[in-house]
Amino acid sequence: MAKPILSVTNLTKRYGDRTVVDGISFEVETGEVFGILGPNGAGKTTTLEMIEAMRPIDDGSAILDGIDVSKDPTAVKRIIGVQPQSPAFQDKTKLTELIELFAAAYGQHVKPMEYLNDVQLGDKASSYVENLSGGQKQRLSIAAALVHRPKVFFMDEPTTGLDPGARRNLWELVEEIKSRGVTVLITTHYMEEAERLCDRVAIMDNGKIIALDTPRQLVKDLLKKGFTKKQHVEQADLEDVFIDLTGKGLHS
Amino acid sequence: MSLKKQFYTVYIFAKLSTRRFFRDRLALFFGILFPLIFLFVFGGIFGKSGNNVNFHVAVINNSSSSFAKQFEQQLTSSKIFKVDPKITNLTEANDKMGKNQLDATIVLPASFGTVKAGQTYPSGVAQVDYTQNNAESGQTLTTVLQAEFKDINAKFTKVEEPFNAQGIQLNKKSLTQFDYTFAGLLGFSIIGLGIFGPVNVFPELKKQGILRRLHTTPLKVWQYFVSTMISQAIIGLISISIMFAVAMSVFHLKVVGNYPEIALYLIFSIIAILGIGLALGGWAKNERQAAPLSNIIVFPMLFLSGTFFPRFLMPEWLQKVSTFLPLTPVIDGIRLMATEGKSLFQIGPQIGLLFGWTIIIYAIAFTIFKWE
Repeated sequence: MAKPILSVTNLTKRYGDRTVVDGISFEVETGEVFGILGPNGAGKTTTLEMIEAMRPIDDGSAILDGIDVSKDPTAVKRIIGVQPQSPAFQDKTKLTELIELFAAAYGQHVKPMEYLNDVQLGDKASSYVENLSGGQKQRLSIAAALVHRPKVFFMDEPTTGLDPGARRNLWELVEEIKSRGVTVLITTHYMEEAERLCDRVAIMDNGKIIALDTPRQLVKDLLKKGFTKKQHVEQADLEDVFIDLTGKGLHS
Repeated sequence: MSLKKQFYTVYIFAKLSTRRFFRDRLALFFGILFPLIFLFVFGGIFGKSGNNVNFHVAVINNSSSSFAKQFEQQLTSSKIFKVDPKITNLTEANDKMGKNQLDATIVLPASFGTVKAGQTYPSGVAQVDYTQNNAESGQTLTTVLQAEFKDINAKFTKVEEPFNAQGIQLNKKSLTQFDYTFAGLLGFSIIGLGIFGPVNVFPELKKQGILRRLHTTPLKVWQYFVSTMISQAIIGLISISIMFAVAMSVFHLKVVGNYPEIALYLIFSIIAILGIGLALGGWAKNERQAAPLSNIIVFPMLFLSGTFFPRFLMPEWLQKVSTFLPLTPVIDGIRLMATEGKSLFQIGPQIGLLFGWTIIIYAIAFTIFKWE
C-alpha cells in the first residue's frame, strides 16, 4: 500500500448537542480518488471542511501530508485546492484575471491561458465570469483551485445541478487531474459518479462511516449477501439517449 | 511566504478590485456621479450668494411724480434689491410674502416725491411691509432705504450732520458658505465610498460564498484590507479630483492650499473612514444586519460633522460633542487646507484625532471580521 497522504482519526464535529461528524477515521493514499458518499445531511461537507482547515475540529485529528490541520492551518491551505459546492465569482472579472487573482492569493505569478486551456475555457479568456454557464463556472472554479499545483484537491458535490453532458465533461477533467498525480477527495450523492471516478469510497450516514472499500468490492459484498436486482437492466438508459442526441459536452 | 510575495498578493487584489469598480456602472454612479449631483444641488443653493445681500422685494408705486419714477428705477437697477417685476398691487405682494417668496414690499404712496407747499424740494415716506417671520430682513431693508434717503436728502438740504458712520470694504475675502459646503460634500463622498460601499458589497460576497472561497487560500485578512484600502484610495482620489474640478470651474471655488498635501490628507481620510465600512461589512452576516447598524452610525455623523451645514451654526454643547466624531476632523482638515491654506503641520489636532480613530476603528475591524 502506498503511503497515506491523509490520515483522519476519530474526527468529530458537534453543533450544540448534535453530533454532525461522529468520530470517523480513514486514510487516503497518495494519488487516489477517494469518494465520500451519503445522503444530504450525512456530514460529508462538514468532514471536508474540517480537513480543509475551514472549520475547527472538536475532537480527533486530521494529518495532511504530515501537517496537523488544527496546528498549522495556513500550511495546509498552501498544499490543497478547494472546489466549493456552488462556485461564485465577483462580477466584472475576466477569466484571465480570476486565475491571476487566485494565483496571487498564493503569492504566485502564472500564465492564466495555460490554466484556462486545461479546462477548455481558452476561447472565453476575456469574457466576464458572470457570462459563463453552470458547467463552465465549475470548470473555471477547478482551474482556479489548481492554480498553485496543490497536492490534494477537494471537490464538494461538483456535479450537483449540472446537465448530463456537463457532468461527463467534468468526470473526464477529474480523471485528467488524477493522471497528474493529484490526490482527489470528492463528495457526491450520485452513485454512478462514485462508481466511475473513485478508487475507494466511504459511505457516510448520520455522521458515521458505515462502509469503506473499492466500489467493486462493495458491490461484491452485497451480492454475497444474496442480493438480486428485481428488474432486468436495459443495455442503455434515458441518459444515454440524451447524450446521444445532444452530443457529449457540447452544452456544458 | 516572503514579504515580497505577500505584497504581490496585495498588489494584484488592489489592481483587480479597482478595475472592477470602473467596469461596474452602478458602482460608478454611486461612487462618482452621486456626489457630483449633490455638488450641483448644494452649489446651486449656496454657490452664487457670495458677498452681495439680495433682498427679494416688490415695489408698488402709487405716485405719479417724476421723483417716484426715478426712485423706482434706481431700486430696480440696484444690486442689493431683486425686484419682482410681475407684482403690481398689494394683494399679489401680500400673497407672495405669505408664501415667503418675498422678503418685503416697498410701497410708495400717492404723495411720494411731490413738492409740498412752502418747500423747494420733493419729500415723502416710503413704506416697508414685511411679515413676522421676515422681521430681520424687513428691518435691515428699512435701514438700507434710510441710508439711501440720507444721501438723497443731503443733495437737497446741504446740511452737514455732526456724526456719521462709514463702511469700508477690506481687501480680504472671508469664507463663503460654499467653502463650508464643499468640504462637507467631500466628507459625504468619502462616507459613500468608504462605508456604504463595503456595507453593501461584503454581505453579498458572503452570501455567494466568495469570501469563503478566498478563505480556503492562504490569503490573510490584512492583505485583503490593505488591497481594499489601496483601491479605495485610488477611486476616492479620482472621484474627489472631479469634484474639485467642477467646484473650481462652475462654482468658483478658490483653492489656496498645497495640492500634494491636500491629496495626502484625503488618502489618510479615505482610509480612516473605510475602516468603519470594513468593520461593519466584515462583521455583518447579511444585509439585514449591516444596513440598520450602518445607518445608526452614518446618519448622526452626516448631520453633526458639518456635511450639509457648517458646525458653527449648532449650539455650543453640540459643537463640542461633534468635534470628536471621526468625520469632523476629515471635513475640518480638508476645509482648513483647501480654502484657508493651512499646511499639514498646522492641522495637527485634526490629524491626531483622525489617527486615534483609525487605530480604534481598524483594531475593531480586524477583530470582528468574518469570512462567511
